[in-house]
Amino acid sequence: MTNASFVLSNPAHAQWPYEPHFARVNGWRMHYIDEGRGDPVVLLHGNPTWGFLYRDFVAPLTDAGYRVIVPDMIGFGLSEKPTREQAHSLDGHIANLTGLLRGLDLWRITLVCHDWGGPTGLGFALANVARMKALVLMSTWAWPLPPAAFHTRMFPWRMMHAPVLGPYLLGRHNALAARGLSLSVVGRERFRTRAQGAYEAVLPDPASRLLTWTWPRWIPLDETARALDRFRWLERELARCKLPALLVWGREDDVFDCDTFCGRFKALLPHAEGPYLVTGRHFLQEDSGPEIASAVSDFVKRLDQRESST
Amino acid sequence: MTALEITDEPRLEGMRRAFVLAEDRIGHYPEFRDFFVRIFDLDRVGLAKPGYLVAPSGLSYALVFVGRSGERFPSGLEIYALVPELEPLDESIVDRDLWAISRWMIDGIGGQWSLADLDATGRLLRIPAALQ
Repeated sequence: MTNASFVLSNPAHAQWPYEPHFARVNGWRMHYIDEGRGDPVVLLHGNPTWGFLYRDFVAPLTDAGYRVIVPDMIGFGLSEKPTREQAHSLDGHIANLTGLLRGLDLWRITLVCHDWGGPTGLGFALANVARMKALVLMSTWAWPLPPAAFHTRMFPWRMMHAPVLGPYLLGRHNALAARGLSLSVVGRERFRTRAQGAYEAVLPDPASRLLTWTWPRWIPLDETARALDRFRWLERELARCKLPALLVWGREDDVFDCDTFCGRFKALLPHAEGPYLVTGRHFLQEDSGPEIASAVSDFVKRLDQRESST
Repeated sequence: MTALEITDEPRLEGMRRAFVLAEDRIGHYPEFRDFFVRIFDLDRVGLAKPGYLVAPSGLSYALVFVGRSGERFPSGLEIYALVPELEPLDESIVDRDLWAISRWMIDGIGGQWSLADLDATGRLLRIPAALQ
């Protein structure tokens, strides 16, 4: 019995049949899957998801000749879940990812980043450019200010993660996985029947859900934010970055709206392809997984062909 | 607004503190820390004793304030239900009480934090106590 089969219902496990791997990284136990052979494509999730978010990506990418690695961020999925808020920081999560990717000695990496997979993945990519091949960015950000309008609103965002309310609403009631996720997909009924349970299953107890209210507290809202310098560095380095890039965005994204956020990535990375627009709110992989997987595969294939023809 | 009463230390004989919630960063929004400092006179009391309150269910709760070196006090908060020492918690009662404590807290903080927004958030997230 794999770790995944232990926690997932049969329908969910059928969608996630992969052999679990574990690595010690930066003092924590990180779960990841490692499928296929070829140049690595690393798929990074955010809050409150885990590798399962990319279930529609694994087979198409391995079939296309790539090695697919999907880590669960420390605090999510089948990875270790620290029970103290002080265990989490943006720099710490970048170091976690760096520990995994260097430990696996990966080169020519295509990094696919979503939500907090953006700041953490880009933190790795921009500090380890020699190991990188390309970037794919989806519904995320990488600069200090201004925040998304969504993140400045009292109802519901700031209420959800405020002191005492975070541990109550998102901890005791698992509200981000049990309710917030479905509010941020287009096909809610399909999501509820196919995926909802897999996200709730890996966050079974209030203490296991700590990162669901801790990550929101790391989103800079003003000049007093904790990670402001790291976000300034991300933006500065991104503007110098020449890595091939693809931008994929959901047309219905109301967290990181396409015009503002994808537009700013396009300004920072004018050479980036896209935006490739798909049906999707913030969790666009849930609405358009196979289509995005195909776009990523085609993008990496084009890079390979360009490289072999020069 | 909510029938919630701050009390002196209740009778503790035959009772135990049952942990129900921890907040590691009470000052994430500083007005939350300021609220507890004001209500429980924490600049004077410090770590000497918990704050106590009686929730609408009649159950008493101890609010244990946590200090961390280098940070303003308190940095954290733990909430404990005071229950008969060998009896399990009634989770539905505790949950309704935590919602009442949340509403009391937001009402006391005021300013940009409103009960209307909290209640709307509770309803959106389908929190049982908010739907009653």
